[in-house]
Amino acid sequence: MSKLNETDIQGFVLRGYNMPFARYLFLRFEDAGRAATFIHRLLGEVTTGQRWDSGKPLSTVNIAFTHLGLSALELPDATLLSFPVEFQQGMKKRAAILGDTGRNAPESWDEIWREDRVHAWLGVNAVSLDALNSRCADMLTLMRDTDGVILLDAQDAAALVIDGVPTTKEHFGFTDGFGNPDYLGVERSSQPGQGKLNSNGTWAPLATGELLLGYADEAGELPVAPVPHILASNGTFMVYRKLHQNLATFRSYLNDHAPFYAGGKEKLAAKFIGRWRDGTPIELSPDQPDPSITQDPARSTNFTFGADPEGVRCPVGAHMRRVNPRDAFGFDGKLINRRRITRRGLPYGVWTPEGESVTDSDERGVIFIALNADFSRQFEFVQQQWINYGNDARLGNEKDLLMGNHTGHGRFVVQGDTTPTNPPFVCSNLPSFVELRGGGYFFLPSITALGMIGMGLVDPR
Amino acid sequence: MSNINGKVYAMNVITPMKPWKTGLLRILFFALWHIKPMQKDLINLSFIEFARWVIVPRRSFPFLAQGQVPEDLQYDYLLFFSNFNGTWNQYIDAFSSVLSRGLNLIWRWSEKFPGSVPITPFKEYIAQVQFDTDYYYTAYPYAAANDLKAAHIVQSSLDQLAAQAQTSTPQQFAEAYLQFVVRVQTHLGNTGEAPVVS
Repeated sequence: MSKLNETDIQGFVLRGYNMPFARYLFLRFEDAGRAATFIHRLLGEVTTGQRWDSGKPLSTVNIAFTHLGLSALELPDATLLSFPVEFQQGMKKRAAILGDTGRNAPESWDEIWREDRVHAWLGVNAVSLDALNSRCADMLTLMRDTDGVILLDAQDAAALVIDGVPTTKEHFGFTDGFGNPDYLGVERSSQPGQGKLNSNGTWAPLATGELLLGYADEAGELPVAPVPHILASNGTFMVYRKLHQNLATFRSYLNDHAPFYAGGKEKLAAKFIGRWRDGTPIELSPDQPDPSITQDPARSTNFTFGADPEGVRCPVGAHMRRVNPRDAFGFDGKLINRRRITRRGLPYGVWTPEGESVTDSDERGVIFIALNADFSRQFEFVQQQWINYGNDARLGNEKDLLMGNHTGHGRFVVQGDTTPTNPPFVCSNLPSFVELRGGGYFFLPSITALGMIGMGLVDPR
Repeated sequence: MSNINGKVYAMNVITPMKPWKTGLLRILFFALWHIKPMQKDLINLSFIEFARWVIVPRRSFPFLAQGQVPEDLQYDYLLFFSNFNGTWNQYIDAFSSVLSRGLNLIWRWSEKFPGSVPITPFKEYIAQVQFDTDYYYTAYPYAAANDLKAAHIVQSSLDQLAAQAQTSTPQQFAEAYLQFVVRVQTHLGNTGEAPVVS
């Protein structure tokens, strides 16, 4: 496959910017015409996927729309109705399917998400807080000048700073962000383990259509997309979820259970996730973290579970094994190639070292952003079947330990063997370590499509 | 009146075949039945409880009573019946991605079969030839096939441990118990409601 037209694709789709600061602005369109003018004027600001040959910019800007937003922009009905049903419904209406019930139910979300008010997400990433503030100020000026868009709310997110250094850790102390897939045509320093598994054990990029609309997917056909084709092509769909982390609960659960586990606390924590806190895959290094693996792109994601069907090294229900099962279901991983998502987003809240007092109510968590070509086939499938259910992993109704919507009744089995330091161990009465505070489904269009929207030229034919 | 009962979905698919093709399919079924490795992929899809294909020749349709007017059928029919865990989409996705060659061999003799790849025409075809289930009994609606298999393993392992325990010393029991836990550790999932379909 030839290279993609990077200048037509929003940069946020093609690469994680790897910038430590972000602010996500949530917009509402007050007037279709003036909102379109805003989008038209924004066009020159939007960061594309073009390579940064002349150095990394200080900040980036990207935009995505809810179905309500596209409707408020008065796109033709024939276009609006051609979007996939789950996007038309929005994430809130998909709560039952996603298992967003109980404490995760829309009634308990942050106010902005409780009602259907958000029309657009404007994502600003920056290398420094100054650059972030200055770019956001530019955005507000543009909104004021065009007078058709109001700012509902803003969500700050930032890499957690530990000992003065920005890191890729999340609040529970695990290094995050290893597992993004490679796609055909996307230029990226790829590494083994990030695409799809071939039957000879090597790895290959996934079909472009698993990420972008307008290209063949792993089934050899184009993803379901709105009309006209030119509106959809080079765009993607985005899931935004504000995931609150109950840090006090997590730490006390681990501290309470670790004394009964002969492998020790850090090993138990590693069994939960499938990686030691520094990121070492427990499948590759079952007894201790190994920095030589995490530092080596040829190894840090290069492993499979086929030789560990009993979960003796990496438990069958470990978070990482659940959400990216690789070859765990057999068939050389073919059953999972159409279920992959691309992760973006950053943590929010301040890192608190172990030993300092924390409460669950402190504002901290992860802004989970996932990109996929098809919500129902990719993100929703992972969330429903692999996080809040267990049959594919042969775990019955067990949910993912980390992300599952437990109601205090969850269970997680750490498989083991007869070695004294690797015994089988059962964690019962799992509380919810992570809770959903809101979010939505967005369409992240191409530059061409943004131009069409900005100029009112969307014509479904 | 539903294809779904708890965690189980019942699928009935009936497709017409030109009679001269039926013999070819019979030869294929004979081979599939006698060459076990050919069934391996189907069996390894753990969410399938069973799948069965049956040829119904046009002259073997049930004739219920003298009053029934004999039909002159032009086609033989292939009945496919399967019970599986999970959604319709998930099932057909899996079929298409890992069993496409086998499925094509079985269904290619049926009229208008588009092939199992690409998936959209295949799904449209199945939707057109599928007959909804009028009555569906499931003994364990809250259990998937994996759950049932797991329960058998836990039960037999526990029985074995119990028998052994009658005569073990505490030390022997400790060892036997650890062996028992290792044997059942991947079979401890609980049963319950299926995820919401739509």
